[in-house]
Amino acid sequence: MNELKLEYLKLKKKTRSWLGPILVFWLIMLAFPLTVEFMQDKLEIGFFSVLWIAILISMMLATEDIFIEDYNDGSLEQTIIKNTSFQFLISIRIIVYWLMIGVPISILSFIFSLGTSEDLLLSISVIPLSIISSYIFLNLFALGSALSLNKGSLLGALITMPLALPVLIVLGKSIIAFQLGINYLEFILLLLGCLSIIIIAVPIIVSFIIKAHLE
Amino acid sequence: MDNITSVIAENISYKVNDNKLFHNLSFSLNTGESLHIKGPNGSGKSTLLRIILGITNPTKGSISINSTKDKCYLGHKNALKNYLSLDDNILLMEFDNHPCLKKYIEILDLKRYLDVNVANLSYGQQKKLGLLRLFLNSSDLIILDEPFVGLDKETQIILTDFLTDQLKENKTLIYTSHIECDIDSKTLLLK
Amino acid sequence: MIKKFIHQFASPKTYLYQVNRFYPYIFYSSLVIYIISLIWGLFFTPEDFVQGNSYRIIYLHVPASFLSQSLYLAMAVASVTYLVWRVKLAAYLIIAIAPIGAMTTFIALISGSIWGIPTWGTWWQWDARITSTLILFIMYLGLISLHNSFSNFEKADKLTSWLVIIGAVNIPIIKKSVDWWSTLHQSASITLTEKPTIDVLMLYPLIGSIIGFLGLITCLVLTSSKYQILIREKTKSWIRDYV
Repeated sequence: MNELKLEYLKLKKKTRSWLGPILVFWLIMLAFPLTVEFMQDKLEIGFFSVLWIAILISMMLATEDIFIEDYNDGSLEQTIIKNTSFQFLISIRIIVYWLMIGVPISILSFIFSLGTSEDLLLSISVIPLSIISSYIFLNLFALGSALSLNKGSLLGALITMPLALPVLIVLGKSIIAFQLGINYLEFILLLLGCLSIIIIAVPIIVSFIIKAHLE
Repeated sequence: MDNITSVIAENISYKVNDNKLFHNLSFSLNTGESLHIKGPNGSGKSTLLRIILGITNPTKGSISINSTKDKCYLGHKNALKNYLSLDDNILLMEFDNHPCLKKYIEILDLKRYLDVNVANLSYGQQKKLGLLRLFLNSSDLIILDEPFVGLDKETQIILTDFLTDQLKENKTLIYTSHIECDIDSKTLLLK
Repeated sequence: MIKKFIHQFASPKTYLYQVNRFYPYIFYSSLVIYIISLIWGLFFTPEDFVQGNSYRIIYLHVPASFLSQSLYLAMAVASVTYLVWRVKLAAYLIIAIAPIGAMTTFIALISGSIWGIPTWGTWWQWDARITSTLILFIMYLGLISLHNSFSNFEKADKLTSWLVIIGAVNIPIIKKSVDWWSTLHQSASITLTEKPTIDVLMLYPLIGSIIGFLGLITCLVLTSSKYQILIREKTKSWIRDYV
C-alpha cells in the first residue's frame, strides 16, 4: 500500500501529467461538434468513434512520461538494484495513472455521451467500456513508452498503435451491439479477458525492456 | 576482525558495438576493504560499477557478491524528483522514519529547506540530499560514482569520515573519484 | 547441447561462407522458376471468366502477400532465438529481414490496389485483409525506426526482438478482429487444408511463382544479412581476411 501512496504523491504533484490528458480529451470532445453541421441528430452518428479515439489519444499522452522521468533522474537505477519486485512497481504505477486519468475520463465520456445521445441507458453502457478500455490502452502505451524510452513518445505511439487497433474494433462493435440489444455483455467479458492477460503480461515485459535500456 | 570475501570479479570483459572497454578484469574484496577504481575518462569506470551493481551484464566473466541486502549506490544522477519538496523526496526514499534522519539533516545543513522544491536548490545542495541515501544506508556494499563532485570542503570531510567509519563497521566500499580523498583503499587502474 | 549446436553453426563466419556457396544456386534456380511461371501464367493460361485478364496480377500479388506475413514469422523466430540463446546471427537476421518484409508488404498493397481498379472499381477498400496488410506494413516501419533510434546495436537488437515478439502475438489478433469488422476480399484460394478453389491451369503457375518469388526474396534476405554481418563484425579479424 505504501507504494501506491508514493506513486499517487508523485503523480498528484505533476499536474501537467494527469490534468493534461484529461483536458486534451475534453478539447477533442469539444472540437468534434464544431466540425459537424450544427444539427443535434446528425451529431450522434460519428460521436462514438470520436469518443474512442479521444480516449486512445489521451491515454497515449498520459503515458508519455510514465518512465522517462525516472530514467532521466536516475530513479530507475535505484529501483532495480533494490530487492523489491520491479514488475509490481510498474503495475502499481499503471494503476495509479488509471485511477487519476482513466477513471475521470470515463466519467467525462458518460457525461458527453449523455449530452449527445440523450439516451441514459446507452450512456451508462459507455462507462464500463471506457473504464476497461482506458486501462487496456494505458498498459499498451506504457509498453510503447518503455520501448521508446528516451527516444520520444512519437516512436512509442507508432509502434504501439497497431496493438490498440483490435480494441478499437471491439469498442465499435459493442456500442452497435448495445444499440441492437444483443450480446453487449459478451463484449464486456471479452474486453475484461484481454485486460486480465494484459495486466499480467505488460509489467513483466516492460520490466525486461527497461532493464535492457539501462544496460 | 573477521575478513570474509564480499565481492569477487572473475575475468570480466565488456564490449560496446565490438569496442572493447576492458578485458579480463579480476579482483576480489573482503569486508571492511575499499576499492578505488581509477582511470581516464571513457575507460569504463562507471560501466564497471554498473556491472558490479548488476544493472549491466558483462560480455564475459562473472561477478559474485556475498550479500543479500540491497546495495547502496550513488551515481552521477541523484534520483531526486525536482518537482517535490525535500520532505517528499525523503518520503520517497522511505527514510521518513529513520532514527538518524534528523542528525544528518542537521549535519548537511538542509533543515531550512525541507519544504522547498528540489528544483530551487543549488547543485551542491541537491547532491547533499542525494547523499542521504548513503548516510542512512543499511547495506553491506556501498558503490559510489564520483561522490565528491560538487561538494564543498566541509562536506567532503564529513563524507570521508563517514566512509572510514563504515569500513570499520566491516562494510565494503567501491568508488571512483578524480578528487583526492583520504580513504585507505586498494586501487584498480583501468586503461 | 542445443545451445552448443546453435552456437557452432550459427557463427557469422560459417554462415557467411555457406551463404556464398549456395547463393548462386538459389538465385538462378528461383529466377528461372519465377520467369517460367510468369510466362506460363501470363501467356498460356485461359482468361478468368469473371475478372478477364486483370487477374493475372496474382502472379505478383499472391506471392507478395504470402511472404509479407511469412517474413514477419521468420523475424519472430529469429527474435526468440536471439532472446533465448543470445545468438548474434539471429539478431542480424531480424534487421536484415525487416526492410525486405516492408518492401514485400508494400508490393502486396500496391499490386492489390492495381488489381482492385478493374475488379472492384476502386483502388482502395476498407476491407479486412487490406487493412491488416496495411497495419502489418506500419508495424514493419515501426520496427525499423525503433532499431534505427539506438546507437548501441545490442540494445537495439534486444528491444527490437521484444517488439517483434509482441507484434507476432498481435498479428493473429489483428487479423481476427479485422476479419470480424468487415470482409469484402475474396478468401484465400489456396490453403493447406482445403481443396483449392482456383482452376488447376492457373494453380500450377501460381505455385511456381510463389516458389520462385520465395527464392528471390530469400536471396535478398541473404544479401542484406551479409551486409549486416560486414557492418557489425567489422572489427573482427576474420572479416579482414574475408574482405
